[in-house]
Amino acid sequence: MPQRILLCDDDIYILRAAEFKFQHAGYIVDTAGDGLEALEAIEKALPDLIITDCQMPRLDGLGLVQRLRDNPATADIPVLMLTAKGFELKHDELARTWNVLAVVAKPFSPRELLKRVNAILRMEDIEVNREKSLNL
Amino acid sequence: MAKIGVRTSDLLALSAVVLGLIWPIGCEAALPVGFGSPALRLGFFVTGSLTAILFTLWWVRKFHRGRIAERHYLTSLCEMDPHEIWHDEGGTLLPPPSIGGPWSQVLEQVHQAFRDHGRQIQNLEQARSALEIRCRRATSEAAQIKGILSSLPEPILVADSYDELVMVNSSAEQLFQFDMQNVETRAAKSIIHCQKLVDLLLGTARHKSTERRNEDIEIADMEGHSHWYRATAARLSGENKATDERAESCGAVVVLRNIGEHKAVQKRNAEFVSSVSHEMKTPLAGIKAYVELLADGDAEDENTREEFLAVINGQADRLQRLVENLLNLARIEAGVVNVSKEPRSLNEILDEALSIVQPSAEAKSIALINDLSPMYLSVLIDRDMLLQAAINLLSNAIKYTPPGGSVTLRSRMEEGQVRFDVQDTGVGLSGDDCNRVFEKFYRVERNKEMAPGTGLGLPLAKHIVEDVHGGRLTVESTLGQGSTFSVELKI
Repeated sequence: MPQRILLCDDDIYILRAAEFKFQHAGYIVDTAGDGLEALEAIEKALPDLIITDCQMPRLDGLGLVQRLRDNPATADIPVLMLTAKGFELKHDELARTWNVLAVVAKPFSPRELLKRVNAILRMEDIEVNREKSLNL
Repeated sequence: MAKIGVRTSDLLALSAVVLGLIWPIGCEAALPVGFGSPALRLGFFVTGSLTAILFTLWWVRKFHRGRIAERHYLTSLCEMDPHEIWHDEGGTLLPPPSIGGPWSQVLEQVHQAFRDHGRQIQNLEQARSALEIRCRRATSEAAQIKGILSSLPEPILVADSYDELVMVNSSAEQLFQFDMQNVETRAAKSIIHCQKLVDLLLGTARHKSTERRNEDIEIADMEGHSHWYRATAARLSGENKATDERAESCGAVVVLRNIGEHKAVQKRNAEFVSSVSHEMKTPLAGIKAYVELLADGDAEDENTREEFLAVINGQADRLQRLVENLLNLARIEAGVVNVSKEPRSLNEILDEALSIVQPSAEAKSIALINDLSPMYLSVLIDRDMLLQAAINLLSNAIKYTPPGGSVTLRSRMEEGQVRFDVQDTGVGLSGDDCNRVFEKFYRVERNKEMAPGTGLGLPLAKHIVEDVHGGRLTVESTLGQGSTFSVELKI
């Protein structure tokens, strides 16, 4: 069964490019224009991975991640953060406190982003399969 | 002990007496027996005796007159004010007795001693006067320095080598809320409630080097608001030894300069760089992503390829607009902008601006209402610049209007002027924001997350309208209901 990815960015062109790339790679892609729209999308269908922009109207990327981590149902969803911000974003703190797997700087390569997502979801699969085999 | 002087005149007088006495005897003895008449002998005797008597009388009289003069001199000396004699440098008030008495030499020495003492006292008095003048000058200078220090807005604190404050100005008293005249202790660490500043001040007093030390220090006032100061501390080494490292320290002075504005500028600059880089990276990200999709052959059909190319083109335009905004603002501010004004149709330019911002309005589902005057509104303008200003005003309205809202562009002739308004149904501005929204890099804090921006669009529009075209750009706004930016241009 294809895995589901939620893309969240207020720039429609970035959203469209990433959506196009991931759909071509066989993922089911949901999109959201800001953090609140992303939470609504998650309520409808729980994604396997979330890629979110950092600076967005209404609810920004960091706010979204905080809400996700506060909810047990979404606390373990892997999150990648896209950002055009520079030095003021503390990558270590994001990883340590909010379990953000990676911070990808804009401009980014959709190809490289896809590779990274593939790797993360494959690792997740391996973990899930390992847990399953141990349970058996 | 003083010797009694014997003058030549006295010797002569004495000789005359002796000669007078011995003359008759000598003559008597010298004449051969039987030589000379008794009358001659008597003559010799009488002459010699008279001479001796006369000389004796003369000498006695002279001696007596000398004694009188000396007595008179001593009486005058006793009656005179010693200060007068000491100050009588030329000896004119009481000249030394000229008539020789037996004590005249002693008196001359006394007189000389008086004059010497007089000179010494005069020197001492001159030194005392000079010292008094210096003392007065020093007191006046100290008062002057205190006055200057008090008038300075920068807090200044001076500590001695015993870690006690010895001088502070009123700005320092205000900052640290104390009154130097009424403090229980002058210990610097008890009065100054900023450990970093105490360490700097006392550390400088003990420091061997005479170099000034600078430190940026955050000091909280009594209400808890913190302010940034640049503290400059220098060691005090006594008079004329400020640069002598071997001279013993006698304390330190610290001057605090408020660098709040400087820090705010630094922060604004950092935010500006961050905003500009964010603004540039966003279209760049689009260009890079779509170019890669095309290069990887992900766009399989012609329509998709065209769509991607259009996006790349649009993002490149966006980038170009940003760079133009930056450059134009820099040029206008530097006064090196080339303005070419020509009579133009305002509506034509506003129509073009509307078509440029149309896609971004559509993307946010914002209705862009064209309410341009049917009249031909001719204005003397620089076409490119005014187009830029109109685009900036429209883009700003679209950015801060929530989806479903509307942005209206209206133009009309009014009181001999041409006017156009950009009216939105957006988030609106507070009174304070209305005053500051044309400041360079200023962004309304609560709206920052609503849309990215550099805080350059509105200042640039204002520069273009007011500085380049001599017009007026104003804003009226109600928080939560929307804003209207109005441009007035002379015909």
